[in-house]
Amino acid sequence: MGNTTVVIGVIGADVHAVGNRIIDYALRQADFNVVNLGVMVSQKEFVDAAIETKASAIFVSSLYGQGELDCRGFGDYCKEAGLNNVLLYVGGNLVIGKSEFAPVEAKFKAMGFHRVYPPGSDIAIGIEDLKADLGLGK
Amino acid sequence: MPIYLLFDVGSTYTKGLIVDTQSETILAIANDMTTSSTDISIGIEKVKAKMRNILDKVYIDQTLMCSSAKGGLKMIAVGLVPDLTLKAATLACYSAGAKVIHAYAFQLNQNELDEINSAQADILLLSGGTDGGNTEVVLHNAKQIASLHPSFPIIYAGNKAVQDEIKAIFKNENCELLCCENVMPTYGVLQVDECRSVIRDLFLKSIIKAKGLSKLAEVLDELILPTPSSVLEALILLSKGTKTEEGLGDLMAIDIGGATTDVYSINKTFILKDNAGYKGLQEPLDKRSVEGDLGVRFSAHNVAELMKNEIENDELMSAYLESIKRDLYSSNDPKLDSILASWCTQIACERHAGRLEISYSPMGISTYQSGKDLRDVSKVIGIGGPLIHSKDPKRILNKVLRNPKTPEILLPDKIEAYLDQKYVISCLGLLASRHPNEVLRILKRNVEKIK
Repeated sequence: MGNTTVVIGVIGADVHAVGNRIIDYALRQADFNVVNLGVMVSQKEFVDAAIETKASAIFVSSLYGQGELDCRGFGDYCKEAGLNNVLLYVGGNLVIGKSEFAPVEAKFKAMGFHRVYPPGSDIAIGIEDLKADLGLGK
Repeated sequence: MPIYLLFDVGSTYTKGLIVDTQSETILAIANDMTTSSTDISIGIEKVKAKMRNILDKVYIDQTLMCSSAKGGLKMIAVGLVPDLTLKAATLACYSAGAKVIHAYAFQLNQNELDEINSAQADILLLSGGTDGGNTEVVLHNAKQIASLHPSFPIIYAGNKAVQDEIKAIFKNENCELLCCENVMPTYGVLQVDECRSVIRDLFLKSIIKAKGLSKLAEVLDELILPTPSSVLEALILLSKGTKTEEGLGDLMAIDIGGATTDVYSINKTFILKDNAGYKGLQEPLDKRSVEGDLGVRFSAHNVAELMKNEIENDELMSAYLESIKRDLYSSNDPKLDSILASWCTQIACERHAGRLEISYSPMGISTYQSGKDLRDVSKVIGIGGPLIHSKDPKRILNKVLRNPKTPEILLPDKIEAYLDQKYVISCLGLLASRHPNEVLRILKRNVEKIK
């Protein structure tokens, strides 16, 4: 998996850095190349980094409740930039308040994300999903 | 300790300097109008004639030269994403003293290939992809460029994973190719040192020949640098000093010419204040930028257009611009030239400096920086005719200061102004690596602080 690159970052004006570091650490432990864009990352930065590094997946995090606004059009932007085969995962407190997860998931899938994770998800699950989606053995 | 005869050719004046490294003195300085459009050696002989009385008395150990003749070192930069590998490639060209005449991102199309074909560049720098990153775009571009059978050499400084394939592509088409480290090996990391030295070697070996300077090379003893590269060497020495001799510390320099304006910033460390995050490519500590559209003669109209709302951009200035258009060199109004030079300084510095962006969110105010923070740089050196001939160079250099209207542009908050009054910086850069202590002391004595 040493040749598989994942771009990660916290989208929008969100500065929550702890989860980002945990994701970075877990992915590296699982032998992925990680391009960590840190916090306050724009859609353009995610896309630019994924193009240059030939990333297989982009992990978008959002904790401050504005994820829905920040992620709007993300899937379309990736398609426009030619990133047709890049997996898009998103997770965190994606919307304000305690909403039922199913409609939130549907909303983000409609934006082009392949997998959507509710608050408090274990990153290990995300990594297992990534391996499965990329057809990589355990 | 040897005595050197140094020349700077190709700009408005051909400059000559005789430097005695033993006594750490400049024995002679002479200038004459350039002859770069005809034969550079004529200008050199004229300058030598002016220094004849000294030349007859001393033995010159070596003759060295820096050149911006025939438009200087003209390069084309090709990258993948504009803000990443293309920017890295462009910064590499600038740091080697080159001018970037075209810059292209993503897959090259036929129009762009036609432009490359007719551009009369000296070198093309091909980059794209981090190491282990994207390969398809850079391979596509390599094939397209090789199919042109360019008359100029190509440097490959992209994804190392396909370096062998790239070599094969150019070899099959009998094109000259040199390879060096990737200018952006991983995301956001700039690595230009090896690329810079490859560009300089190429300039020395092939470019000199192509520019008809080879005859001149016979009287020279090896070292020829692009002029901006020599200036950068001198400024780095002046800023950082040596083990035994202290430098001036962090500094900026502005070199205003007829067609272009160069800005340099030399910093010891990368500054990130106020808990700001950083975005994008980390820029070099020794940074040079070139503005091909800012100058006081060839580019004067464009400068005035960019500053059309300024009070000083009045009818008098319009009439002056018209007279410059009619005859580039006979027009000479020091006051109006100073205004043009101050505009060049302001725009070029604003483009050179980093930015602080403030974001208001439910979590409060957050800031992030892109580019270099120059707020604490206090020493600014003026280089070039428009500054040297101005009656009030301080006024021009004050345009380097951070503008209260645009505080997000990270320019110096206060400055001490210096002037390369005797045109010594470009020539002395040629000796920076050979006699650092001596050259540093000569520079400190000759670059004058202005009040």
